[in-house]
Amino acid sequence: MSSCMRRLVICFTSAVFVIAAVGSAVFGQEDPDPNSPAPRLLSSMDKTRLLAIRPQSAGPELPATGDAVFDVGGEMVVYVENIPRTSPDGANAFRAYLTQSDGRIYELYTTSFRRLKSGVAAIGIRIRDVYGYRGQPKPIGDSLLSIVWRGNVSNYLKVGIGTTGGRIRIPEAAATRVNDGGAEYVGYRWSGDRIRFLEQATFGPSPAEDERIRRIGLRAWLAEQFNAPYPYLQMPNPPQMPTSIPTECSLAAFPACYRDRYTMTPLQLWFFREAAYGNAQLRHRVAWALSQILVTSGLVTQQSSHAIAYHRILQDNAFGNYKDILRSVTLSPTMGNYLDMARSTKTNPNENYPREILQLFSIGLFMLEQDGRLRLDGDGHPIPTYDQDLINEFSKVFTGWSFNNTGPHATPGTVNYLDPMILSTANHDLSAKTLMSYHGASVTSIPACQNCTTTTQIRDYADASLDAAITNIFEHPNVGPYISRLLIQHMVTSDPSPAYVEHVAAAFNDNGSGIRGDMKAVVRAILLDPEARGDVKTAPRYGKLREPVQLITNLTRIFPARSYDGQDLSDGALGSWAAAMGQNPFNSPSVFNYFSPKHVVSGTTILGPEFELLNSGLAVNRTNFLHLLTIDGITPNATDSLRGTSLDLSAYAALAAEDPTGNLLLDTLDYRMMHRTMTQQQKGLILQAVNAVAATDPLRRAKTAVYLIAASSQYQVQR
Amino acid sequence: MQNDRRDFICRSAKALTMASLASGMGVFGQVTALAQKVPFSRAAEVPNDYRALVCIFLGGGNDANNMIVPNHSDANVSNYAAYAAARAPQGLALPQSSLLPIDVPRIGNLTYGLHPSFGPVTGGINNGLHGLWAQGKLAFVTNIGTLVMPLTRQQYQTNSGRRPMQLFSHTDQSNQQMNARSDVVVLSGWGGRIADRMTIPANPQRLIPMVNSIAGARVFTVGEERQPLAVGPAPTPLNSLLSLLGYNGTPAANARLAALQAGMDLADVNDLVGASNDVHREAIRISTTLNQSAEVTTAFPNTEIGNQLKQIARIIKNRSTLQMNRQIFFCVLDGFDTHTAQLTGQGTLFSRLSQASRAFFDEMTAQGIGDKVTQFTLSDFNRTFNPGGSGTNVGSDHAWAGHAMVVGGAVVSSDFYGMNTTNGTPFPTLVNNGPDDADGGANARGRWIPTTSVEQYAATLSRWFGLSNSDLSYVYPNLENFASSDLGFLMPPGIR
Repeated sequence: MSSCMRRLVICFTSAVFVIAAVGSAVFGQEDPDPNSPAPRLLSSMDKTRLLAIRPQSAGPELPATGDAVFDVGGEMVVYVENIPRTSPDGANAFRAYLTQSDGRIYELYTTSFRRLKSGVAAIGIRIRDVYGYRGQPKPIGDSLLSIVWRGNVSNYLKVGIGTTGGRIRIPEAAATRVNDGGAEYVGYRWSGDRIRFLEQATFGPSPAEDERIRRIGLRAWLAEQFNAPYPYLQMPNPPQMPTSIPTECSLAAFPACYRDRYTMTPLQLWFFREAAYGNAQLRHRVAWALSQILVTSGLVTQQSSHAIAYHRILQDNAFGNYKDILRSVTLSPTMGNYLDMARSTKTNPNENYPREILQLFSIGLFMLEQDGRLRLDGDGHPIPTYDQDLINEFSKVFTGWSFNNTGPHATPGTVNYLDPMILSTANHDLSAKTLMSYHGASVTSIPACQNCTTTTQIRDYADASLDAAITNIFEHPNVGPYISRLLIQHMVTSDPSPAYVEHVAAAFNDNGSGIRGDMKAVVRAILLDPEARGDVKTAPRYGKLREPVQLITNLTRIFPARSYDGQDLSDGALGSWAAAMGQNPFNSPSVFNYFSPKHVVSGTTILGPEFELLNSGLAVNRTNFLHLLTIDGITPNATDSLRGTSLDLSAYAALAAEDPTGNLLLDTLDYRMMHRTMTQQQKGLILQAVNAVAATDPLRRAKTAVYLIAASSQYQVQR
Repeated sequence: MQNDRRDFICRSAKALTMASLASGMGVFGQVTALAQKVPFSRAAEVPNDYRALVCIFLGGGNDANNMIVPNHSDANVSNYAAYAAARAPQGLALPQSSLLPIDVPRIGNLTYGLHPSFGPVTGGINNGLHGLWAQGKLAFVTNIGTLVMPLTRQQYQTNSGRRPMQLFSHTDQSNQQMNARSDVVVLSGWGGRIADRMTIPANPQRLIPMVNSIAGARVFTVGEERQPLAVGPAPTPLNSLLSLLGYNGTPAANARLAALQAGMDLADVNDLVGASNDVHREAIRISTTLNQSAEVTTAFPNTEIGNQLKQIARIIKNRSTLQMNRQIFFCVLDGFDTHTAQLTGQGTLFSRLSQASRAFFDEMTAQGIGDKVTQFTLSDFNRTFNPGGSGTNVGSDHAWAGHAMVVGGAVVSSDFYGMNTTNGTPFPTLVNNGPDDADGGANARGRWIPTTSVEQYAATLSRWFGLSNSDLSYVYPNLENFASSDLGFLMPPGIR
């Protein structure tokens, strides 16, 4: 088809939005242009060669000529255009990558940032890989340097490492496409960014939320979401059951009872339905991210009521304060059972919870800078945040807490998992404890109890001790960068720049009103950062592989999910399909979640946590699931009397019918699913398959297109 | 085409040739050209027999102190009374009468005992692993753990020797067990690095990668250059492991399949897209070669570990059609993080391990390669000798050196192997705050300092497998810090 006609089609789809816009008021705070320009490296006289100079030769302004060759481990200054003078960024916002002729790619240290009078930025670079996972650059001649800023990549230019010469080819520069739909003259008109934002902040960009953001903008939408009633669909409320499963609820005789009370199924069903249909999307999304950081698992948690009580903590506090999250999680009976704090006594203190609250829920193993990078000692080694002695001390603090079987929600004959744990005074360690010492710590030790003769005195002492321990953890300078980085990884991109982490950590440390740990400020900072925002991101390592849950929910939101027969809503019975793709919701294999935040893609230096769930077998399972969901539909499970799931593609079948070339269908799907990043090559391939389906079956054509896009890696990476 | 070198070269070559792709130059040619430039350390030498290593990872940190228990009263080394004194009060001691006796030549033929779950169990389908001790097919490497260099208790407690990074942490310690490096973080494992060096000389006609995982591409399986094949466990048959659904041969289905596959070859500015495409493309390629259906004849237990080992046994059964001479397999049995309720939890896990491993041994014997396939265990770490909790809740916490198990016809003789501890045997002194305890003082909990490193254990397995001496230092850079690289539990490599 001709490019002329393609333009016409695009115009047509834009017109749809214009019509929808008429009559809708624009209100809320104003959102700035989300797009940051792509940085441009200056070249030397030879247009393919980098203008770079040794720091000692660098003057205050642009050098007339640069140096051609640099040593591994040496330093250079490079010059970058297109960084607006208004940008407050420093060196840690810029990332430098070196591609060598042996195919290896290294991330180099960016050590300094300076603005020349002309406005050009001078960036200092040390030719040394930040991680060294796959060794250091080699002196093998011409290599390619590129700079990434706010998720956009610069041009690639040659620089000699050790020597010049050798064969290396310069890739075509990636163009930054701005989807400034000119005709959408009102509202938040950056349509690509709207879709991208919804992929990060919700379980998928539904057309309704896209339209809402177009009308009110990102900031007003966030304010709306922070106050949105939740959940939209009532959470299941199964009764607490005895630990030993009664005959009337046994798996063999009464599988439905067993499923509803002794498995995670009710939580999964609600979770997927809430993701598809709920309005408080941001809270649901943040709670889901928190559940993958502060992990409990149905592999240990026996009953759905216990898991639901735990998830409520994360949901209720998703926009609260992280200190409250730490405290509530610590006293959660579900966590107490999962990581054994409920069984820790002064004669047998258990190290499990103290170790994991430090390693996984708050500060991590090593001292961090505020931008999330490792702090190193004088010998260049990372500095551990704690040792075994400290674990022993925290273990003592956490002794004696257990199930509150006389609490308000206690049910006779069952263990109470609904009320917070309560102190069993005889089991609490009353000796002195040494906590962590760090700059700014308001409490670093707990004295032995001087006056613990009555139950009340012991309770007061234990309460104060717990508060001191949680305060000691919460105030640790690592928490901001550590938790911020994890949340960014779950919502936006697997490998955020240090500057991005620093921005969010700053919001964690102080929400602007002097409050530390305000989750609203953290979430806002994550979603509004210039590294998150923009219509298109061109950096080679930007984004994240969609985890199985997100792969499912994005489709159930873009296209309305229906029951198998289309007559009702989906039953949400999608957990087993996520499990087949490696992520069984609320059944994490361990406290380390389904995937590690540090996972590096096999054979590369690309950070990609979700890739831990992608191998030959699971890749095929993904493709097969997508075939089932998009083309066949998921049939109801007979024994469960559920309704199944299908996607309502009738609107897209109409587009396929309207334009038999398939272009209207593809262009609309390109927007909805890929915020208009689909390449002409991909579009061409899919069109061939679409057009192999008879024009008399437009629904089948629509299904074919949705399946092929969803199954493509281009779609499966959220970017 | 063989594409298990699906690695940095492949991906970045693609990035570099984006422009050339547009002009019609295929990326495959480029990859091959680059791959062929990489020199190999020795001339291709195709083995004339089959060998396989099968790693069973005991996830969570196996309490080895209850896997092997002294079953004697000799007071010169830790005896049952010493064990019971430390573990019985809180209820973690196994009754002496329940232990399955094994006589240990290395320790003067004193009797030790295996956990009862290693024998016949209720509902079991075979007699378990214990019986293999008498047949000389079961061995243990004792007091093994992560080390950078040999470390005495005095050195440890004064922090004067080089310690492994992040002792007692699950992720770090399990990674170090799998990558055999405790001084730096590396992204490759020792299984993967063996494949870096042996894939081409040992399996020149291979149809699948040398390393196969039934438990995901964990670090053990990943090389600096070579990538594993990761597939699902039984009961999914081998020939439908990687089959795409919904393709029934109609013209529309064929067109859809063509678009799906062609889409995997599209260049993209985003490297994550490229990485994802690499996995999908590899899956499609292998789906055609894994279309094998020869089935095993031994009954396997229907457990997670049973189904993983069954899948491995099937792949091995099809070794000649897949044209494999040397293979490394990886599977995982999780759940060993027994901070509480250890007696029932670990008992269940051991019976699953024993039943599945025995079935696998029997199947290899039935395939006529009982002495060509060696199973071995790794685990995050051992657990504290001093229990945590009491009664039914009793468990144990994170510790350090434990015992590893080796099963197969290539075992020299059933015995304990490894370097001697301070008591002159390879078995640690079971005393909290004793000579082998990393902990000191009154609250010491019995975290044994390893006397044998993961490297020494792995190097012994690797030598038997056929890794050349010259490649040992590539796979195990810290091996030279230790006295021996052959602990002697496997037959020397056959003459080729």
